[in-house]
Amino acid sequence: MSGKSLDNRRVQKFHWMSRFLSGWAIFRQSFLGKIGLTLLALFALMALCSFIPPLVDPMYQPMAGVDPEISTVTGPSTRHWLGTDFMGRDLLSQLLAGARVAFMVGVSAAFMSVFLGTAIGMIAGYMGKFADTLLMRLADIIMVMPALVVLLMLAALFGQLSIWFIVFFIALFRWPGVSRVIRAQTLSLKHRPFIEAARVAGASHLRIIFRHITPNVLPLSFLYMTFQVTSAIIIEAALAFLGFGDPRTISWGMMLQWVWKTGHMFNAPYWLLPPGICISLITLSFYMLGRAMDEVLDPRLRKEGQTD
Amino acid sequence: MGNGKQTILELDRIVKRYRTKGFFFGAHGQDVIALNEVFIKILRGEIFGLVGESGSGKTTAGRLIVRLEQPDQGKIYLDGRDITGLKGKASKDYSRRVQMIFQDPYQSLNPLLSVFDTISEPLIIHKIGNAEAREDSVWQAMKSVGLSPPHDFAHRYPHQLSGGQRQRVAIAHAMVLKPEFVVADEPTSMLDASMSAQIFNILLEMRRRLKVTFLFITHSLAAARYLCDRIAVMYKGNLMEIGPAEEVLRNPKHPYTQALMDALPKFVHSGGVKRYETLLQAEREVSGYVGCPFFVRCKVARAPKCSREKPPLKKLDDSHSVACFYAEPGIKTRSGGKA
Amino acid sequence: MALLEVEDLTIGYQSQRGFLKAVEGVSFSLDKGRSLGFVGESGCGKTTLGMALMRLLPPNGRIREGRILFDGQDLLEKTDEEMRQVRWQKMAMIFQTAMNALNPVHRVNDQIAEAILTHNPSLGKQVAYKQVEGLSRLVGLSKHRLRDYPHQYSGGMKQRAIIAMALACQPKLIIADEPTTALDVIVQDQILEEIKNIQKEFDISIIFISHDISIVADVSHDIGIMYAGQLVEYGAREEVFESPMHPYTKALLSSYPTLTGEKAQLMPIPGEAPDLIHPPSGCRFFDRCAGARASCRTNPLVWLEITPTHKVFCYQCGRQCGR
Ligand SMILES: Nc1ncnc2c1ncn2[C@@H]1O[C@H](COP(=O)(O)OP(=O)(O)OP(=O)(O)O)[C@@H](O)[C@H]1O
Ligand SMILES: Nc1ncnc2c1ncn2[C@@H]1O[C@H](COP(=O)(O)OP(=O)(O)OP(=O)(O)O)[C@@H](O)[C@H]1O
Ligand code: SF4
Ligand SMILES: [Mg+2]
Ligand SMILES: [Mg+2]
Repeated sequence: MSGKSLDNRRVQKFHWMSRFLSGWAIFRQSFLGKIGLTLLALFALMALCSFIPPLVDPMYQPMAGVDPEISTVTGPSTRHWLGTDFMGRDLLSQLLAGARVAFMVGVSAAFMSVFLGTAIGMIAGYMGKFADTLLMRLADIIMVMPALVVLLMLAALFGQLSIWFIVFFIALFRWPGVSRVIRAQTLSLKHRPFIEAARVAGASHLRIIFRHITPNVLPLSFLYMTFQVTSAIIIEAALAFLGFGDPRTISWGMMLQWVWKTGHMFNAPYWLLPPGICISLITLSFYMLGRAMDEVLDPRLRKEGQTD
Repeated sequence: MGNGKQTILELDRIVKRYRTKGFFFGAHGQDVIALNEVFIKILRGEIFGLVGESGSGKTTAGRLIVRLEQPDQGKIYLDGRDITGLKGKASKDYSRRVQMIFQDPYQSLNPLLSVFDTISEPLIIHKIGNAEAREDSVWQAMKSVGLSPPHDFAHRYPHQLSGGQRQRVAIAHAMVLKPEFVVADEPTSMLDASMSAQIFNILLEMRRRLKVTFLFITHSLAAARYLCDRIAVMYKGNLMEIGPAEEVLRNPKHPYTQALMDALPKFVHSGGVKRYETLLQAEREVSGYVGCPFFVRCKVARAPKCSREKPPLKKLDDSHSVACFYAEPGIKTRSGGKA
Repeated sequence: MALLEVEDLTIGYQSQRGFLKAVEGVSFSLDKGRSLGFVGESGCGKTTLGMALMRLLPPNGRIREGRILFDGQDLLEKTDEEMRQVRWQKMAMIFQTAMNALNPVHRVNDQIAEAILTHNPSLGKQVAYKQVEGLSRLVGLSKHRLRDYPHQYSGGMKQRAIIAMALACQPKLIIADEPTTALDVIVQDQILEEIKNIQKEFDISIIFISHDISIVADVSHDIGIMYAGQLVEYGAREEVFESPMHPYTKALLSSYPTLTGEKAQLMPIPGEAPDLIHPPSGCRFFDRCAGARASCRTNPLVWLEITPTHKVFCYQCGRQCGR
């Protein structure tokens, strides 16, 4: 033990910084993490690039822009690198815009659900008793509800759903998983001597929650966020594919829907494959990122010799 | 002892039960009686030792005193005022006066707070002084526990400290409010001998300078002898013997205390002699007796009396009390060991 | 002839900052039926030494130098398979975390019988279970509780079961790493008593590791004091306790509260142990030693024999004796 503490003595002044750096060192050793991060960087680049084509020529508008000379499905060409869809819209610019939407939907839905889940989990874990039972039963109920089916029913009832409504709804459906984990973590923290020491020192419940518990569960929340992103993207894509996406935004799911609806499933691979591959890859890359973060956060998963 | 000094803290026939969970819904297993009618008066300025084996209820007593737990029966008085029902502001004020040092220094510090933040936390909670005054207090507290130079340690995090250093941070955290009464729950059981000695000396120094009263919980008789003015010996939640430390350890009267003394490693502590032999080799097989808690293991016991009746705490002289029917005042013990 | 002879053993761990020498230049020998205790503060390398003798170091640990002669054979030259034969059959270890060493899902007697059968498959179940009963009597475990699961045992009973398991193959050497640290004094006393009896009865050698001097003194014939990976004093129990030579031994003894004699002021050792990755030259106790002189740092240390059985590793001791 004493040897260990001597190790660290010189190095570090700022804890968060040092934690981040040592975490990064472990992350870098993870093969999955590196692939995931590289892929994500590519997708982020795509999302950023989605602003460029419309500036080049208005016909590259992903939604409204139609090539005046083409009004049917065409394969790749120099004018349209990935080809055009049934109306003559540029597929590449649609794919790029889809990346932007995927990020927007994934990250914001994940953020909201993790925020909800963390808050509810902490409240349930810390307050215990009645609040705990109530919130956790609620979580159970939501958890067993099939999110997609409910969303479909809502879409059928209210017509087209806006993208923000979908994001909000995904968040609403995805928090229970997070809150369970956070609640368990809070429960185990609650009886740790350092929390009791704070109580003995006279700290109020709010202070204990915000000063002592929150910082100790946040890393876990962040970890869960990466997994949540994956499921949010998939749900959105599925909705769009089934025709209940937001008609004012372009998403990969929607591109697939058009392929299918216009009957080009088997004769326009340049149209079908890119969005399909993109969906698989982006969810995969968030998942790999999550797994690598798992290793960073949970010392038990580290390989021998990696520990600090 | 005693006469001139006033009582600071009094445990008045405290009972604490823990409900253990059974296998099935609702139904619960047997209650664990962690404290059984414990009656202790602690005098201002003394170090009072609570010794006993694992599970004897020492920690529970400490947790009740710092109000982490509420007694099922009985009252606790600080300076004559009952503290069992304190709420809100009164409760917060109480925490300024009574603090606790926890057993495991690897668990009792928040891993994400620096040493400085940890020690200044109580000052912020109680809104004491401005930032500058707080910093001074923290510096002072750190020096007094031997974390010097303070600026060398202030920005470190628990994982960058050794066990002994962590425990010192925990002590500083407890002492920075300048409490009158501190519960120290086995503060050195996770540390090795030389570290322990440092901590003992810090506690003694605190007592001397700040006139703090300590409840020192330990399972080591030697540590109790070194630090404490008076000690109480507990067994399964019951008080067995209470008296001045030197007196109880040199002349233990309760068969259980004597068994504890016997069990000490002989070479260093007692020169190789078993003195009393009060422990049965095999436990008595009894069911449903209500008598002395030590009966099943006691060699001295006489069957009907000890198994039917719980021996009351009886005074041998004005400072030394024992809960055993057959303890008698004087140097010789009943079992006739060479004391 | 000595049962175990260790020469100049150096063991280290590969860590992020470099090679951590947890044990350096340790030599000792242990005769049949004798017991040897190692004492020292946390992190001084006691567990590392014990694990190395069993050749059970973690993957990042390595024996750099030295020889371990056990029963006339060099253990470091054995293959893993050969070593497996030696382990448990001839030498057994009671681990520091022994309480957790029992498998929670098997009955205690099954686990002990299993230990017997893996090494003597020819015995047959009947005989093995008979032996388990014999062992349990030996370590003071009630026969009726043998069919319990480990969680139904108290700490002391688990510890007894572990000792029974270590004895299962009648080893010649038992290495006990803090076998009683988590136990109450009364239970600890009973177990130490048990260990002493078993040792006498079967003429087993024991290496006893603890940071509590009083416990080690209770069971060991000889005592080695370790500091920062090195052995600093070695001798018969009485010699080390009654006339300690090394300043560290003296400091250790005076930092320990006792129940007999005058209530003296405890003298904690100031400061902390040195960094084992970049250990200081000369005496490692230099920074914390009350009697240190500049020459301690510059002169190479040699072992000084005070009596044929009592040795000390300190420069100043040598000077005082005029050698
Ligand atoms: N939260 C709890 N729930 C149920 N039982 C408990 C709880 N806390 C303590 N106990 C029981 O109460 C008894 C007294 O426990 P306590 O922790 O006070 O003992 P202790 O003397 O401090 O022991 P140790 O020396 O091991 O710290 C034990 O039998 C213990 O199992
Ligand atoms: N697997 C490991 N990797 C790296 N360093 C290690 C490892 N195990 C132990 N060490 C280091 O080796 C040194 C000796 O450790 P060891 O466990 O042998 O000490 P010990 O004397 O048994 O201490 P304790 O009394 O705390 O059990 C310590 O400085 C420790 O930090
Ligand atoms: S009262 Fe009886 S059983 Fe209890 S300690 Fe005294 S002699 Fe033993
Ligand atoms: Mg306790
Ligand atoms: Mg060890």
